[in-house]
Amino acid sequence: MADIFLQTCWFVPFYGALGALLTLPWSSGLLRPIGQRPAAYINILMTLFSLIHGGIASAAIAGHDRYQIVVPWFQAADLDVSLAIEVSSVSLGGATLVALLCFLAQIFGLGYLEKEVSLARFYGLMGLFEAALGGIALSDSLLLSYGLLEMLTLSTYLLVGFWYAQPLVVTAARDAFLTKRVGDIILLMGIVALSSYGTGLTFSELEAWAATSPVPDGVATLLGLSLIAGPIGKCAQFPLHLWLDEAMEGPNPASILRNSVVVAAGAYVLIRLQPVFTLSPVASDTLILIGTITAIGASLMTLAQIDIKRTLSHSTSAFMGLVFVAVGLGQVDIALLLLFAHAIAKALIFMSIGGIILNTNTQNITELGGLGSRMPVTALAFLVGGAGSTCLLPSGVFLTFRHWLEEFPQMSIAGVAVLVIVNLVTALSLTRLFRLVFLGEPQMKTRRAPEVNWLMAVPMLTMTILTILVPVALYRWDLLALSHETSPATHSTMMLQVVPPLLLLSGLVGVGIGLILPLLRTGARSMNPAIRFCQDLLAYDFYVERIYKVTVVWAVMSLSRLSVLFDRYVVDGLVNATGLATLFSGQALRYSSSGQSQFYVLTILVGTGLLVFLAATLPF
Amino acid sequence: MLSALIFIPLTIAALIGLVPERFTANWLRSAMLVVASVLFGLTVVIAWQFDPSNPGFQWVEQRTWLEILGVSYSLGVDGLSLPLLVLNGFLTLVAIGCTSTTLDRPRFYYSMMLLLNAGVVGAFVAQDLILFFLFYELELIPLYFLIAIWGGSQRSYAATKFLLYTAISGVAILASFLGIVWLTDAPSFSYTPGLGSSLALGTQVILLSTLLVGLAIKIPIFPFHTWLPDAHVEASTPVSVLLAGVLLKLGTYGLLRFGVGLFPQAWLEIAPWLATLAAVSALYGAFAAISQQDMKKMVAYSSIAHMGYILLAAAAGTELSLLGAEAQMIAHGLISALLFLLVGIVAKKTGTRDLNVLRGLLNPERGLPMVGSLIILGVMASSGLPGMMGFIAEFMVFRGCFLVYPVQTLACIVGTGLTAVYFLLMINRVFFGRLPDRFDHLPPVQWFETLPAFVIAGLLIVYGLQPALFLDWSKAQVATIVPGLVLQQDVLDSTLLHDALVSQSPVRPSPI
Repeated sequence: MADIFLQTCWFVPFYGALGALLTLPWSSGLLRPIGQRPAAYINILMTLFSLIHGGIASAAIAGHDRYQIVVPWFQAADLDVSLAIEVSSVSLGGATLVALLCFLAQIFGLGYLEKEVSLARFYGLMGLFEAALGGIALSDSLLLSYGLLEMLTLSTYLLVGFWYAQPLVVTAARDAFLTKRVGDIILLMGIVALSSYGTGLTFSELEAWAATSPVPDGVATLLGLSLIAGPIGKCAQFPLHLWLDEAMEGPNPASILRNSVVVAAGAYVLIRLQPVFTLSPVASDTLILIGTITAIGASLMTLAQIDIKRTLSHSTSAFMGLVFVAVGLGQVDIALLLLFAHAIAKALIFMSIGGIILNTNTQNITELGGLGSRMPVTALAFLVGGAGSTCLLPSGVFLTFRHWLEEFPQMSIAGVAVLVIVNLVTALSLTRLFRLVFLGEPQMKTRRAPEVNWLMAVPMLTMTILTILVPVALYRWDLLALSHETSPATHSTMMLQVVPPLLLLSGLVGVGIGLILPLLRTGARSMNPAIRFCQDLLAYDFYVERIYKVTVVWAVMSLSRLSVLFDRYVVDGLVNATGLATLFSGQALRYSSSGQSQFYVLTILVGTGLLVFLAATLPF
Repeated sequence: MLSALIFIPLTIAALIGLVPERFTANWLRSAMLVVASVLFGLTVVIAWQFDPSNPGFQWVEQRTWLEILGVSYSLGVDGLSLPLLVLNGFLTLVAIGCTSTTLDRPRFYYSMMLLLNAGVVGAFVAQDLILFFLFYELELIPLYFLIAIWGGSQRSYAATKFLLYTAISGVAILASFLGIVWLTDAPSFSYTPGLGSSLALGTQVILLSTLLVGLAIKIPIFPFHTWLPDAHVEASTPVSVLLAGVLLKLGTYGLLRFGVGLFPQAWLEIAPWLATLAAVSALYGAFAAISQQDMKKMVAYSSIAHMGYILLAAAAGTELSLLGAEAQMIAHGLISALLFLLVGIVAKKTGTRDLNVLRGLLNPERGLPMVGSLIILGVMASSGLPGMMGFIAEFMVFRGCFLVYPVQTLACIVGTGLTAVYFLLMINRVFFGRLPDRFDHLPPVQWFETLPAFVIAGLLIVYGLQPALFLDWSKAQVATIVPGLVLQQDVLDSTLLHDALVSQSPVRPSPI
């Protein structure tokens, strides 16, 4: 029985797509009289099917080896494109995790979007989201993954732009699409090049191809860099990181997915591409560099944000930076574990703040406070999620970090420093958030905030339990087993004995600083110019957006204006100058009536006739 | 059969004038829908009976005509022209379907429509150079009237500009045809692949350049493009649909059929320059589109950009790139038709196409949500979103050109990225935001207005997911053009070419 589910596991992503299709009668307004709710129920049901199907299939794969399902797609000249799906515990587990988070986020959405009129459209887009994510988890072909990433880009655009009547939403949706698109286009260049160099586009073919080191170093570097670009955009890494925090203008249930599994989808493709990066040390180093810059930079940015969702989205970027570092070091298993541990904890935090935003109608943390006693379940969820995403207790993230050190004892001091700093700053920033939101005096908007409704509380509690269970799952599923025997060098014992406690300590220090840090609401922006400068620098994301405005955006817009001017004055100007001026300008044309038009046609006909006549009479 | 496709519309076009006044425009439209459906049905029959594995001409008709001039009436359809023929039949049906039911001078209008249809069909199926030229010119006259009579406020200017440009284009093409036949002492004007190869290279290049100027005006390629935005802005929706969907394809079809086909040797000589021109055209069109304030103008400039990819593909001249060019013609035909159709609906309902005025049309209650959703789909297809036909075509073009012209190909890929930029600007301005009060009472969109858009959108997705459905038509034929290119070149012998391909270095040096 279970085998049937395993054999049909390729259908798991299609449930979401089917759900999206089935919402069309509602979102197009055909079924207006019966309301939009049924569309949501259909989608939730579809996601449940997908979850059950994926769950059974993942259980069934345990006894089997991984295998591929290859579907020939089309063949044209020397281009032979096949789409492939990988059936393995990792891919099926990923698809199931996606289905699980989508399922919970969709139930959460029922509560969150209680009064939304376009509920069907929202659920349709969520279905599309789910299909693309599940597809990426299963995909074993770069081209298929690229297509699904683009589908994700489109559905992100539409989901962020869901409340399209608000100005901030409009720019956020545009930036999300275009930023990701920049990455995707460069990725497409890489795909075109890879395919031209004669490799098939399934990941296994790529791996085999890369093993033969087929291209010169310079080309390999360019290829590697172009392939990195796509995931940089998807995972909101520097320099394509700005979209994620802007995207927080969208509805929260989509943010839950975006900060947990959508960013992970980009990283997942990166992980699958890792064999190609081994071709070029520059590509690997770039991954590590970008990951480090983002991890530290984005962590620091979280400290000065006043938008609750943006704070957390920056911390998502920071964590994805660590994943980039792991891939750059060649530690793909660690990268997968990081994605897993992070996805669950982050989803929980986002559910928690979703409840806050709905019940207080604000995302501004300076307007929040004292919610702990009013929303205990939400506060608990935030605490568990926060602990789960830092090294404070033996959480999933801590165990993963420790496992990383076991697997890779030669990690440099700098690498350890990055982990410690990111952990410390994340703990500090989460503590700051917790104090501002849940502790202290109630504010105007929080005084009457009730606890979340049951539709939101149930997924939140479920996620809370799951987050607590992550460490258990890691041991239970044997995910922390060493892949190879590490030699007990002094270096490694030092690593293992000193660093994990150091990580825990850094978490505690972060919390400690967070607790004693003076937090003012109205006076949050310091009067001291030096502090104020630092605050602004972090709050405005190191002014990267302004830098873009005066560089990339300016360049594109100037080129565009230039070409329009060129069109009008040079091209048309030349045309007018070359004897046609009399026809195009002045009175002749303005008053040209149908009589004159016929005159032109006559001219053409006579001219043509004359040419044919000449052709006939001239001696051949 | 092919003659029927030409002469049925010609006859009806002549007879329409006899229809009495009491039959309204609405009645005429229904009648013409039947006619267009029959014509489309005929092309479908031809496509059905078409043998895709046979690379040669099928449905051949040969009659002597003007023997003294060496001109013959010979028709035939092959894998290159068949998809375009079907596209033309389909889009004519769509264009008549989206014509206003309260049109002025409907008899003249429909007779021009049919004349246009006949001219385009004739040009696609003509196997004689002069016959092609005659149909090419024939198509120009009805289009001129369609723009000049039923166009916008500046229609005279646009129509005359169009007429002059295209007339020059026709003369250039004719000159090149006459030149090649006279100089090679060919017995007739019938189409013979590789005809120009016997000439001296310099002569070939001159003749080919003349031909290319003619075709570049039609396609259009920078710097011969400025007639197109004006023509589109002034033309009514159905005319824009045909202009972008089919008529531009006459130019690209000529590029593959006559440019590559008649002058393979000279083609190789100037191909690097053409590739660079293609990249410039693609980027130029895209940059110019970003600053446009008129929805139609934006789509028109995007056409210029997308036509650049076809020139690039033709310049690269690999089997894959040529097949990609064919696919891009069909894809662009459908996508631009879809966009013009929908922009037409927006303009009709709101009374403007100005990006500074339109806002918030996605509003589910009072806006145009369905049109908005379809436009989003259309622009995504245009910007090469996988899962739709545009992506397949572009991917084939880029993949086919990359090894030959890496720099130009990458520039064109940047061009697809820019497509997303300008179209997203349009979506954001027109459909997002708050619906202003002045658009509070938009007339409702009828189902038959969006029906063609749904059909096209469906086709884009079906072909995007199953590209083999349309690629199979052209595969065999396209494969024969390329060897013609490769075999007849003296510059590189085949082993050299093979080595070059294997070592993945550019086959031909690019000019930049």
